[in-house]
Amino acid sequence: MIGADLRPTDAVERVVGTLPFVLDKKVEGMVHAAVVRSTFPHARIVDIDTEAALQVEGVLTVLTGADLAAESSIDPYFGGARKDQPILAIGKVRYVGDPVALVVAEDKGQAEEAASLVYCEYDELPFVESIEDAMVEGAPAVHDDYPDNACGWGKLRWGDVEQGFDEADLIAEGEYMTPAASHVPMEPFVTIAEWKGNKVEVWTAAQAPHSVRRTLASIFGLEQEDVRVQVLNLGGGYGAKGQTKIEPMAAVAARAVGRPVRLELTREGVFFTIGKHAARIRIKTGVKRDGSLVARLVDVAWNAGAYAVVSPRAVIQGMARAPGPYRIPNVWVDSRAYYTNTVPTGPFRGAMTTQVAWAYESQMDEIANQLGMDPLEVRRRNLLREGDLHPTGQPMHDVHFVELIEDAAAGIEWGDTSDVDLPPNKVRGKGLGVIMKSTVTPSRSEARIELRDDGSVVAYTSSVEMGQGAATTLLQILSHHLGIGTDSIRFVHPDTDVTPFDLTTSSSRTTFSMGAALEEASVELKHELTDLASSLLEASPADLVHEDGGISVVGQPGTRLEYLEILRRSKIEQLDAEGVFQSEGGLDPETGQGVHTIHWHQGAAGVEVEVDLDTGKVEILRCHGTSWAGRVVNPLRARQQNEGNVVWGTGLALFEELVFDEGQMVNPNLSEYLIPSILDMPRQITTREMESSEPDAELHGIGEMVIPALPPAVGNAVYAATGVRIVDLPITAERVLRGVMARRDQS
Amino acid sequence: MAADDPLRSKIVAGGTALVLMMRQGLVAPERLIALKHIPDLDGIEDRGEVVAIGACATVTTVASSPLVSSALPSLAYACRAVANVRVRNVATLGGNLAEADYASDPPAVLISLGAFCEVAGVEGARTVPVADLITGLYTTDLQEGEVITRIVVPKPASGTRANYIKYKSRSSEDRPCVGVASISSTSPDGSIASLSVAVGAVAPTPQHFPDLLEDAIGQRLDDSLAEEIAEAYASRIEPMDDLRGSAWYRTQVIRALVKRSLLDTEVGIR
Amino acid sequence: MTDLAAVEVRVNGQPQQLEVRGSETLIETLRERLGVTSVRGTCGIGICGTCTVLVDGKIVSGCLTLSAGLDGSEIVTSEGLVEDGRLSRVQQAFVDAGAYQCSFCIPGFVLAVHERLSRDARPSMEEMRHQLAGNLCRCGTYPEILDAVAALIGTADEEETT
Repeated sequence: MIGADLRPTDAVERVVGTLPFVLDKKVEGMVHAAVVRSTFPHARIVDIDTEAALQVEGVLTVLTGADLAAESSIDPYFGGARKDQPILAIGKVRYVGDPVALVVAEDKGQAEEAASLVYCEYDELPFVESIEDAMVEGAPAVHDDYPDNACGWGKLRWGDVEQGFDEADLIAEGEYMTPAASHVPMEPFVTIAEWKGNKVEVWTAAQAPHSVRRTLASIFGLEQEDVRVQVLNLGGGYGAKGQTKIEPMAAVAARAVGRPVRLELTREGVFFTIGKHAARIRIKTGVKRDGSLVARLVDVAWNAGAYAVVSPRAVIQGMARAPGPYRIPNVWVDSRAYYTNTVPTGPFRGAMTTQVAWAYESQMDEIANQLGMDPLEVRRRNLLREGDLHPTGQPMHDVHFVELIEDAAAGIEWGDTSDVDLPPNKVRGKGLGVIMKSTVTPSRSEARIELRDDGSVVAYTSSVEMGQGAATTLLQILSHHLGIGTDSIRFVHPDTDVTPFDLTTSSSRTTFSMGAALEEASVELKHELTDLASSLLEASPADLVHEDGGISVVGQPGTRLEYLEILRRSKIEQLDAEGVFQSEGGLDPETGQGVHTIHWHQGAAGVEVEVDLDTGKVEILRCHGTSWAGRVVNPLRARQQNEGNVVWGTGLALFEELVFDEGQMVNPNLSEYLIPSILDMPRQITTREMESSEPDAELHGIGEMVIPALPPAVGNAVYAATGVRIVDLPITAERVLRGVMARRDQS
Repeated sequence: MAADDPLRSKIVAGGTALVLMMRQGLVAPERLIALKHIPDLDGIEDRGEVVAIGACATVTTVASSPLVSSALPSLAYACRAVANVRVRNVATLGGNLAEADYASDPPAVLISLGAFCEVAGVEGARTVPVADLITGLYTTDLQEGEVITRIVVPKPASGTRANYIKYKSRSSEDRPCVGVASISSTSPDGSIASLSVAVGAVAPTPQHFPDLLEDAIGQRLDDSLAEEIAEAYASRIEPMDDLRGSAWYRTQVIRALVKRSLLDTEVGIR
Repeated sequence: MTDLAAVEVRVNGQPQQLEVRGSETLIETLRERLGVTSVRGTCGIGICGTCTVLVDGKIVSGCLTLSAGLDGSEIVTSEGLVEDGRLSRVQQAFVDAGAYQCSFCIPGFVLAVHERLSRDARPSMEEMRHQLAGNLCRCGTYPEILDAVAALIGTADEEETT
């Protein structure tokens, strides 16, 4: 089953459009909510006039932060790392889009109409929009508790960088910028909350149901068992739905009106809820003449936005990823996040990796150029190999960076410099990028399986299906370990009342982590079956063997008992087993030394671009994206991850950018924030989901490993084509043209 | 009705722009007067020397009309390039002109072709060259209660070269950063007999300067003349800044693409 | 516009007599009144294509279409392409190609492909890409969607993605 092209059982529903999303869910008696948002980046709330809103027909109530603050049974603040985010703004607003009031009405139209009639009066405060603004001494503080706007600091100290720089023959130094961006899941945030006595139940579009449960329990002072979170299919997650977002609003509203409340955000509301960290990366690298890296100093500043979400932890991830997949004896990284008065930021596909990879892979080519070396060769010389130490002190295992970059290069015929006839205004170039990522460690996934006496299996996991094929992949893994056909296995949707704990469906961890939990559960189930069969067959467990859903005595196929027979004859209706995956790790807060990740995620890309010298427009002619899968469970799903990465990376490379002006988000809509269409896809996309030759190789997640390699590969290709080095993403036509014309003026 | 009560009544053709504005709360009409059911406003008529396009003809209808494709290929091409297929199926050519969105494709092409609008109103009928119709950002020469009934486009002589370049600076689904429409015909000796160039999407109104083209008549349309005209347009136009490009950038692109349009180089489809 | 307008339409072959608000959009009518869930709205401005609906044989954005103006129209969504429990040719091609990830956008693509093929049985790959340019897929399933299209128009385009 591992490696089989199994299609999901709901393929028809997917195409016809009857696949259930929380967006479609209806709860009897439900009413609707609409959010009123701040129009100022930073301001004291003077007054919120709900008079006119309350007059609208159908309106049941209008809640404000002051209402919640006055409610002693609610803790109105939440947050994954710091509880700094109010359910509705209290006292002041911290970004344009900050929720300040929630209208609840019989229908959605009434709620929206009333929301437009809520009049807020503000006293403007000075605000900070950029990272640079926020880190200045004496800058306005987004949160009183953090006067320096500090929102996390990851420190990596390895070797002696100053000495390393002394030893270097060449120093490369640069500052690279990546902009804010938006996840744009097609399905918006949507939650239905309902109170049943003192318990609250939510249906929500979330990637981590247990995280939502814990947060709601904390807000309302409940035991976690009194909070139930259920998730259906997500219409895209990409990290946007990884932390609690609108569930608290829906839950407080439901409690206030005594009816189930449905809250669905508008597209603008989605833009105003979560974004991607913008970053400024300063990177200085010391290199020997032979191309070997001796020292790297990285100072990365991340824009956390108005609320911490998970930034204080995320900066640690970014810190460990900042040096890149390279063997460097001396490394110093400061990875700091800053609050600003802009939309809060959180994990975004390729989290805390795309930004630093833009810097280190662009610089790698700068180094190659300065040394007169082939960019592929420079990388080969320095990429981490098995047993090398990562700057966190962790030995690298199961790493294949060299194979990946070779494959990426081969995929675009790197060495082939044969000339193509091009008109005078067009030039072409090729570029490479190779990256490393890691997976959240420590982490925990639990699974439970029930074998019924009809031979069927029900599996309980809290892994969320969001298009990555988790449902199918886990089904194949379980089928493989149990030896039971996929037709006899059913997974239930995540439901915290029923499915056991999973940290999150994100960080490209599910295939590996939940797969491991299911494997352990399978082993336990088989032990239980062996014990039962042992008495039924009057044989020692050591003499029994499992095969394809049955047990027989070794060498005596005639003794075979199907699992369902074993249960029936033992008069057992159902056999349960559980499995747990738990990884351990952690880094010293002062040095960054320790265990960073259970295993390393690895990806590379090669691209060929064509640049129009008159307009600066860059077209990606072809792209080869490759990532380390270890073992591919489902070839189509795996390939789709890499292809999807190429499409996504194209947008990040060439045009995705959330723009702010005077604290206002300029483009919170799909007409001005552009994501790739079918015509933006590189004409030729090839991928390789690289596997080990070992049969029991570890499964590696590949949900986001090509994305971070794409932008620098494009930047390097543009450089090769034009001699223009773009240091700020996205690689817009205007930036390229400015560079082209500047070079023309110089010569 | 619309004339009597302009704030409460809005005329709607395809509705793509109007419904959008209603959803965003920018307009809140009490009545919508739908044109789509008025007969005779959506056909495309061959009137010999001109093609008369009903104002309620959808952009798809115009783009796929065999008459338009053969007689006015640059217009057919520009219409195929408008927005996406769902918009094209519903948006009308008349509505497109009446909305006067600056980041739009048809106006520049229609101006290059010398098109004019037949307009009907309570005061009677009149004609307005498309070049004079759009007067500012989302603003036209139309008075309250007036509707465009037909867009009349003179057929270029055979042998005329015409094209439209829609340049998008960001994604392929972006609205145009610069749109260039040009048309030229030559005399038997190969010199220019007629010439028109219009640049759209760069300023509140489409940019069209017959005075810059007068001296070109009688000359050969070669590389250096095309460059001269392109430079003249680039110098004359004061483009806008927006997310698709700065004013400076648009100037560079105008210069490059006016030249390309005139020399017919690399224009995907004419 | 709070008055209700009476409209008679056929939705997926079923006659429907509806009273809709003046400002009610087709997507609202389909989802809220008729329980059609394949039509999804997300951008609200006609860009993303998840609200694609066939009206009188042409695809439109359900979020920008006023139901009050549809009296007498034939409305078809992806569910309506299924006949006697059998998927349409287009739908089957999508299933065969595995052309879906989160699947939120896929019914819109199905209708867009269907519309083009109903006008012209053998468009070129280039024309099909142009037809689909207005449907956005954030997961990036475009390669498989194009595989489905290639199978439908009977070409194995060398330039095609693997």
